[in-house]
Amino acid sequence: MSVAALHKVDLKPKDYKSEVSVVWCPGCGYHGILNSIYRALSELGVDYANLMAISGIGCSSRTPYFIKSYKMHTLHGRAGPVATGAQLARPDLAVLVTGGDGDGFSIGGGHMPHMARKNVNMTYVLYDNGIYGLTKGQYSPTSRPELKAYTTPYGGPDEPMNPLLYMLTYGATYVAQGFAGKPQICAELIKGALEHKGFSYVNIFSQCPTFNNIDTVEYYRELVREIPEGHDVTSLGAAMELARRDAEGHAPIGLLYKVDRPTLDERLHKIVEKVGGHPGYDVNKIIDLARP
Amino acid sequence: MNSTDIQIALCGSAGDGTIAAGDILRNAVAALGYRVICFDVYPPEIRGFGKCISRVRITTEQTYALKRQSDLLISLDDSHAIPHAGEVRTDGAIIYESKPVGHCPEGSHMSSHILPGQIPYGIPLRELAEKATGGARSRNLVVLGVIAGLLGFSPVPFQKIIEKKFAKQGPAVVSRNQAGFQSGYDVGVNTFKLDNVFCVPQESNPAAGKVVMLSGNAAVVQGCMDAELDTFFGYPITPATTIMERLATAMPKRGRRLLQTEDEISAIAATIGAGYTGARSATATSGPGLALMAEMLGLATMAEIPCVIFVSQRGGPSTGMPTKTEQSDLNAALYGSPGDSQRIVIAPTNVEGCYRCAGKAFEMSEQYQTPVIVLLDLYLSNRYETVTLTESGPPFTLNANKPLRRLEAGESYQRYAFTEDGVSPRAVPGDSGCMHVVTGLEHNTLGRPNDSEEIHTAMSRKRHDKLLAALHHPDFTVTKRIGHSGRIKVGILAWGSTFGECLEAMFMAHAEGISCASMKVVMLSPFPVEAVTQFMDDCDQVLVPEVNYEGQFAQLLQGILARPVVRLSRVPGSPMPVELILSEIRRLAGVV
Repeated sequence: MSVAALHKVDLKPKDYKSEVSVVWCPGCGYHGILNSIYRALSELGVDYANLMAISGIGCSSRTPYFIKSYKMHTLHGRAGPVATGAQLARPDLAVLVTGGDGDGFSIGGGHMPHMARKNVNMTYVLYDNGIYGLTKGQYSPTSRPELKAYTTPYGGPDEPMNPLLYMLTYGATYVAQGFAGKPQICAELIKGALEHKGFSYVNIFSQCPTFNNIDTVEYYRELVREIPEGHDVTSLGAAMELARRDAEGHAPIGLLYKVDRPTLDERLHKIVEKVGGHPGYDVNKIIDLARP
Repeated sequence: MNSTDIQIALCGSAGDGTIAAGDILRNAVAALGYRVICFDVYPPEIRGFGKCISRVRITTEQTYALKRQSDLLISLDDSHAIPHAGEVRTDGAIIYESKPVGHCPEGSHMSSHILPGQIPYGIPLRELAEKATGGARSRNLVVLGVIAGLLGFSPVPFQKIIEKKFAKQGPAVVSRNQAGFQSGYDVGVNTFKLDNVFCVPQESNPAAGKVVMLSGNAAVVQGCMDAELDTFFGYPITPATTIMERLATAMPKRGRRLLQTEDEISAIAATIGAGYTGARSATATSGPGLALMAEMLGLATMAEIPCVIFVSQRGGPSTGMPTKTEQSDLNAALYGSPGDSQRIVIAPTNVEGCYRCAGKAFEMSEQYQTPVIVLLDLYLSNRYETVTLTESGPPFTLNANKPLRRLEAGESYQRYAFTEDGVSPRAVPGDSGCMHVVTGLEHNTLGRPNDSEEIHTAMSRKRHDKLLAALHHPDFTVTKRIGHSGRIKVGILAWGSTFGECLEAMFMAHAEGISCASMKVVMLSPFPVEAVTQFMDDCDQVLVPEVNYEGQFAQLLQGILARPVVRLSRVPGSPMPVELILSEIRRLAGVV
């Protein structure tokens, strides 16, 4: 999404905390991701009255409850299309989707290509912990076959997917990856995503100390490598090369890809102009209808 | 006889221009001031040699359905039209190709299938077309000329429509096609007139209102536009697709937004997302799409988010019969969602009703903060009727939201506050005082998850009781009784498109001296218990005709009212035959 056009406010990270107390397990990486989101929102001065936080179902999908904003906690896998509708109806809002690997790439996997290729003007932060946490420990599309989860007691029968390769192929215009153990980097990447005009995707590795006993903090520390300076973020080829991981299997963290392309919102607006319709989509009319 | 009532059936093979000819015919006679009801039947395949039939009923008085018997059958392809020879009444006529090309095996030509009493009109359609236009493709226009000449319609509106239709292809094509029509017309006026099916000339543009020719789906689109729909999200599916197609043209011209989504789940999801932000939002689908939307509909019920879903039913279950009509998604519309997820379900009975229900659906959805399903079916979506629209502007309220009051200092906004009518004033994003969460989880008045017995009981009651007010929604026909008043022998209870056939049958029964009346039930959820009970109290017998196998409406009636009804359930893939309803009325009235 692009928050550049939004009314700027001066709020501290803690001002974005809602009254609802956080329900995640101690030691969960999500605490760090949430703090990164607060920080990014504060640094950009996002007005929470114009912020829509939308999620599906899962541990990470509880995030909107903890953010002071307008928010929808929807159905498993469906946060993306709900957010698409909200964004197109109200292009004056900043739309932030949060969700997990199962929510986004298993049940919701059919929606991912279309949000990306249509360049819906919103930010999608995917908390990737390689496990279903809320249903208490079943394997996910990013689980490694070595993981013995409750539905794969002898190990997994299939290969994990690589979300970055998918999102690059689908046509996302901002693709980044972080690790919950490096909150500064996460905050920077989320901030960049919020500032980006178009569909921005941030994949964040996170440990689940309760149900995933192999993707630990130590494992991720060993896995990730910061993207070296000099990487050309406008090169799809270079981004794909990074996303494929290096010879030792290290995963990149940082900004892989960022290009400008007209958003879905802009293109729909162009069509209206082309047919000589109403000069602009009148969001004020809608807001006034239900304003106190 | 001072009135006109003629039904014409055009029958051909896909590619013959049968449906196109039907389209010109209905628009031309509507321009002449007649009332028109039309329904096309075509195969699910785009190419190939499937059967196409376009039936057009042209009348001076208001009618409600097609007749079982046509006065005129036009065959553009004998192999398809021969089985329909029997649908032409005695003294009716059949127009067919008198000079078929190539070898014609015995029995394959229409001339050997004309029944005693029917008038055969063998006309060299191909020859006429070739002579006038240089090709045989305009046989359909030649035949239109024959119809106009034979029945005494002015050729002027036909020629105008042909000109408009072919204008893009240049004046040469226009005049060629007009010549094709004219050559048929000349034959028509010089042929014997049909007995007692002559047309009484009509005043065009009758007095009140503006008369337009609309299909059910076009009327839905008009209703959406007049109710100022902001966003639409949809996925193609027969027979609902033309709603999205027409909106795709209309909405950008009014600065509105439409998006074709990746599937029906995302269509309803985006509709709900837009609905939450305050936009008037809708989607349209058929039975299979409704099945995919079921879970999301539950979210809209739970989170009390306005959204409108148009469902045009077709034959089911599964992929079923995509180009055949049926009324078998009533149960899915009423109940298809996890949990106790009652929503408003309304079903128009004619094209004008499609317009009104479409517009009113947005009002109700906002006012009662609930999904509203408008149930159509293929027969209603695709049939054309002349409709009189009021001149005084759209009869819809453009803001039906319950007013939101200013909060006191320190007061938090309660999205799901308990109120007398069960409707909690809703805020939309943009105001810093009313930030809140909505969720598919059971929640307290603030919207926060809460699964206590007290909350779940109270919130369930709130979600159901608030809908009851819809039974008295202003300026909306929830039920309507037509026919004899007081005590009657036979009462017909019907919903959706079948009601037109019921009325036709009822008027025929009246003519036979049978005491009967019909009631249409437009609102199916919440159910108008009182009105329907009162009607049933007046009836010795209650007949429930519907186009589905299980008798879904009859089951609904019996479940709610626990009274006996006589079911008339059929799944012909086409509208319920009027004669079948009539014979049931006779049987129940004790007339044999």
